[in-house]
Amino acid sequence: MYTWIPLKSSADLAELNNQLTPEYDPANVAKKLADGLSDAIKAVLIERNYIDKDYRSTYYNFYSKKGQFYRPDCVRLHLFDETVKFDQKALKLHCADEQLDHHYFGFIVLRPTGIATIGRSVVSPDVRSEPGSHVITTNHKVHLLGYKLTVQGFPSMDQHIDISVCAHVACWSILRHYSERYSIYREFLTHDITMMAQEFNPGGLVPSNGLKVSHAERVFQEAGTFPLLIARVGNDDSSFYRQLHSYVESGFPLFAAMHGRNHAIAIVGYEWRTPAGATPTTAMRYAWDEVKSLVAVDDNYLPYLSIPSHGGADNSSYSCDDIDAFIVALPEKVFYPADAVDKLSETLFRLGPGLGLPPEDESILRYFITTGSALRHFMRERESEFDRNLLETVMSLPFAQFVWIVEVATAADWAIGQISARAILDATASLREVTPFWLIHSRTNALIFDRSTVGDTMNSVRALALSGMSNTAFTRWDKNLRPTQSK
Amino acid sequence: MNQKDEKGVFDIIEGLALADPALLESFKQAMTQEVIPEIVRVVEERRMRAAESRHCQLKC
Repeated sequence: MYTWIPLKSSADLAELNNQLTPEYDPANVAKKLADGLSDAIKAVLIERNYIDKDYRSTYYNFYSKKGQFYRPDCVRLHLFDETVKFDQKALKLHCADEQLDHHYFGFIVLRPTGIATIGRSVVSPDVRSEPGSHVITTNHKVHLLGYKLTVQGFPSMDQHIDISVCAHVACWSILRHYSERYSIYREFLTHDITMMAQEFNPGGLVPSNGLKVSHAERVFQEAGTFPLLIARVGNDDSSFYRQLHSYVESGFPLFAAMHGRNHAIAIVGYEWRTPAGATPTTAMRYAWDEVKSLVAVDDNYLPYLSIPSHGGADNSSYSCDDIDAFIVALPEKVFYPADAVDKLSETLFRLGPGLGLPPEDESILRYFITTGSALRHFMRERESEFDRNLLETVMSLPFAQFVWIVEVATAADWAIGQISARAILDATASLREVTPFWLIHSRTNALIFDRSTVGDTMNSVRALALSGMSNTAFTRWDKNLRPTQSK
Repeated sequence: MNQKDEKGVFDIIEGLALADPALLESFKQAMTQEVIPEIVRVVEERRMRAAESRHCQLKC
């Protein structure tokens, strides 16, 4: 039932071909893993006769109805580093510090379907991504040989090609992340996604025809989220990419549609460009301008594929230029869209004289959603950075559950992960509100907005002079995504 | 305690002053005359583009 394969190099993954029967397509799996995973993986533990809930959902509703015989169970591959040893007789795993979690890189389920056999997988981005990426992850529990392991990653799988295609898998991976991360969302299996996409039971043939973007929207609606579809307007729509990035920055994985390729992927992270240092910008920039690439979960590849922000000459690969639309599965109480924040954020500089903001053409703007609770926690962890009255203000303001944050940084700030000013907006504000703010502050001044009265906008603002913040750190928000640590 | 007796955030925080009315008025004018109309226009344009995008087939 269990076989341990030590790896001196990735070439040793070819041993999978000797250990697994052809229904798992081990030769192709071995090649894919050897090409895509780092040499930090020093052993693979094969777990046979594994009952995978997602494969079972497709087995009962599709594969068991076919004339060809398919097994009902799967194989699961577990990935470990060099410090872990396996006692084959006792079926025990050993590592010197007895912290197996620290040496476990995740698992890959193989389906007995002959083609596209990589099933539900959660692999650590540390063994896949380029260094310096920031990826949306959550903890996934793994029960193995009586051990309770945890791996931080984002779910992925190959498309089945018949009972599910790219769009189904992109929906599945996002909703699986949601159900693992947030207790308000229930778990949906692969076959559930197929059913949720249509008003009727699509049977076994219709899913292979793919989904329309509207079907994907329907899946997210059925799952209890509030999907927002954002489509690119023309080829020169930089606001579209700024919003895409802002939602990823907020920790929302995105369903991204590429019309020209009839393909869908999940966007789960990004990589920053190397900062240009303290050289001042000469025109206002946005955080998107500092992005080198996005990180995608694409069912044609292993997870955490890096896609450049702009295209190259190679037609076989794609770039962010190919993304025509995305769906962000929002929680209920986000009413103020990123389009509005994008337009409003530039207007902050009209308040510059009263706030001590840096000059507009020397600034880099970044905006994202978080919760009022998370903001309070972030500032509490960094109490020493803030004026006492400012901290009391943040703890006292009756924030709605979600807030938009706009951060203003100079190039010098950006290079060292600092900012010069932060604005907190009400994510439940209406489009036509003149001051959808809770608070705007720099190192020296703050404006506080009382949202307890409607209509009396200009009398609901107070100024606060801040002290003690001129020489402290003013840390850029970095709580939503996990930086990778390439191994 | 009724609503009139409840303390708002302006009653709790020390050191508050009236904000510069001229600055606020300038900001309000910019919002009402430029930014909000542009936000409304952009949101509507985005909605229409999204409606077209819904028909795209994804199967690769």
